[in-house]
Amino acid sequence: MAHPPNREPARLTRISESIWEIAATGGMRVPGRVYADEASAGRLGSDPSLDQVRNVAHLPGIEGYSLAMPDMHFGYGFPIGGVGAFRVDDGVVSPGGVGYDINCGVRLLATDLDAADISGKTGRLVDRLFSDVPSGVGSHGAIERLTSPALVQLMVRGAAWAVEQGFGEPADLEHTEAGGALPGADPDAVSERAYARGLDQVGTLGSGNHFLEIQVVDQVFDQEAATAYGLREGQVTVMIHCGSRGFGYQVCDDYLAVMGAASARYGIELPDRQLACAPVHSPEGRRYLGAMACAANYAWANRQMIMHLTGESMQKALGLSPRSLGLRLVYDVAHNIAKIETHESGGRRLELCVHRKGATRAFGPGHPEVPSAYRAVGQPVLIPGDMGTASYVCRGTEEAMRQTFGSTCHGAGRALSRTQALKRAKGRAIDRELAAAGVVVRAQGRKTLMEEMPEAYKDIHDVVGVMDRAGVSPRVARLRPLGVVKG
Amino acid sequence: MSTSEPRRFDPGSRALVYRELDHPADLWLEVRGVDLPNLVENALFALYDSMVALERVEERREVTLHASGASAAEALRTLLAEALFLFATEGFVGVAAQVHRLDSSTEPGSGDVRFQARVRGERLDTTRHETRAEVKAVTYHLLDVTREASGAFKAFVLLDV
Repeated sequence: MAHPPNREPARLTRISESIWEIAATGGMRVPGRVYADEASAGRLGSDPSLDQVRNVAHLPGIEGYSLAMPDMHFGYGFPIGGVGAFRVDDGVVSPGGVGYDINCGVRLLATDLDAADISGKTGRLVDRLFSDVPSGVGSHGAIERLTSPALVQLMVRGAAWAVEQGFGEPADLEHTEAGGALPGADPDAVSERAYARGLDQVGTLGSGNHFLEIQVVDQVFDQEAATAYGLREGQVTVMIHCGSRGFGYQVCDDYLAVMGAASARYGIELPDRQLACAPVHSPEGRRYLGAMACAANYAWANRQMIMHLTGESMQKALGLSPRSLGLRLVYDVAHNIAKIETHESGGRRLELCVHRKGATRAFGPGHPEVPSAYRAVGQPVLIPGDMGTASYVCRGTEEAMRQTFGSTCHGAGRALSRTQALKRAKGRAIDRELAAAGVVVRAQGRKTLMEEMPEAYKDIHDVVGVMDRAGVSPRVARLRPLGVVKG
Repeated sequence: MSTSEPRRFDPGSRALVYRELDHPADLWLEVRGVDLPNLVENALFALYDSMVALERVEERREVTLHASGASAAEALRTLLAEALFLFATEGFVGVAAQVHRLDSSTEPGSGDVRFQARVRGERLDTTRHETRAEVKAVTYHLLDVTREASGAFKAFVLLDV
């Protein structure tokens, strides 16, 4: 039943300064659109991720365009940095459009400290965080092992469950995407294996590109939005990047197998079997969305708990009261998720299942899902860069609602493969190089540090710049790393 | 070349057993084996070696893993997924393995293929063991097992990290 794959290399036609289109050919139901600057569009040429953009456009019920953000690279079925919106009425949901780390995302915390307040203490602070927040391969044991009924509560209530357990404040929930819990979580749709992997990992950072970072607001670009977000130049912030740990990986793995069979059952023609999917309304589609919501909620509980552990750890390391530290949640965004949202498209209001795989929601001003404190300026968009350069706070816009179903990029995106990075890092002490550049790093794995070195990533300034110029997510502030905990 | 007892993985001879191919973000492995059971033993080596430096892992416990699939590739993936599950839930790191094939199919791509693996190792202890990549899943992506003209086997496995 497979579609004959497109043999011709995908051709990019420039639509505007930042947008390149791939015409709908063969079985493509809609065109592809790639956000890129001229240099990176040129480099994309024969990149297999362009074929993935095209493949996604074949899936039933896709609305508008198969979209790719400037941090795009080759992924599992869908490209990383991909956005695909499927009509709930006649469209599909695909685990490959979300990825293994369900609700991997970013949480930004503001403090009342200035960079000068922690000058000379960054090493001590990072050491303390490194020992207090479990990180690394298979990290576990942040709290007592959960019971199954507690895990069920966590799956259904997400960050609110963590707050009830004493990890944070109810006000944190308002500053979390979806209030820290997707509706429709179905614990019965989660396998025993996922339960087993979830019991001991909540409150842990994990490994790979996940991190906990102490930063300083380096530059403010949009004073009004920065003020609304409670950010000012010179201020210390904390960024947490992690997801649903083994629980989410297992949910994805389980449903890839389910969807493989379902695609055939519903007669869905796939240009690549990694795009296995089922109609949103089918039993398989609903069960996946129910299990995915459990994993998304696990991730929100996880980041909520890590925030709390971080606050306690910072107080101890710096000898500060909670009041003088002034730690508060700016915002928390998901960047691997599928959500049912209402959007205007082609002059119609449609209910869509929006897949964001390595893409961040960027809702504009006035949207009811944007917290009231930020509603005038738009949703905060958190875009982490590599550990030696910078991260950005941007804001969602009306333009994002028009162009990208309220979505934007999620990070720098890898420039070098892990093997290339290891070759490049051979014989070098990445931690010492970073220290010389003013960034204190602690990592569980030496290899992780090499694979994650700054030059392994694209230039975050370029990636963010593309979406800024497209009017989708203008820059609000730049955050410079001072200290990093890596898994 | 199955032995009667689980054989210890030798990180010093890693290059003869598997290599990492270039992939933008994940771990894409090419594994070799003189026969199918040996291929599976070597794939277990590659998986554990990707997650933990094995030199200081001791053989303190033995587990038996089972897997089956409609092809050798699918059975191999399932076995590796079993090993990953045990690592994720119990911290079990294997350092020696012996694999038996329990079915009677002759071709790698046909029939129901079943493997049984005896794996020896111990629980991860980060005070003694250096960790490497956090493997999220053993994927179906680019999954393949082929038999070469020489009779040796080759597998391609992509680990999502």
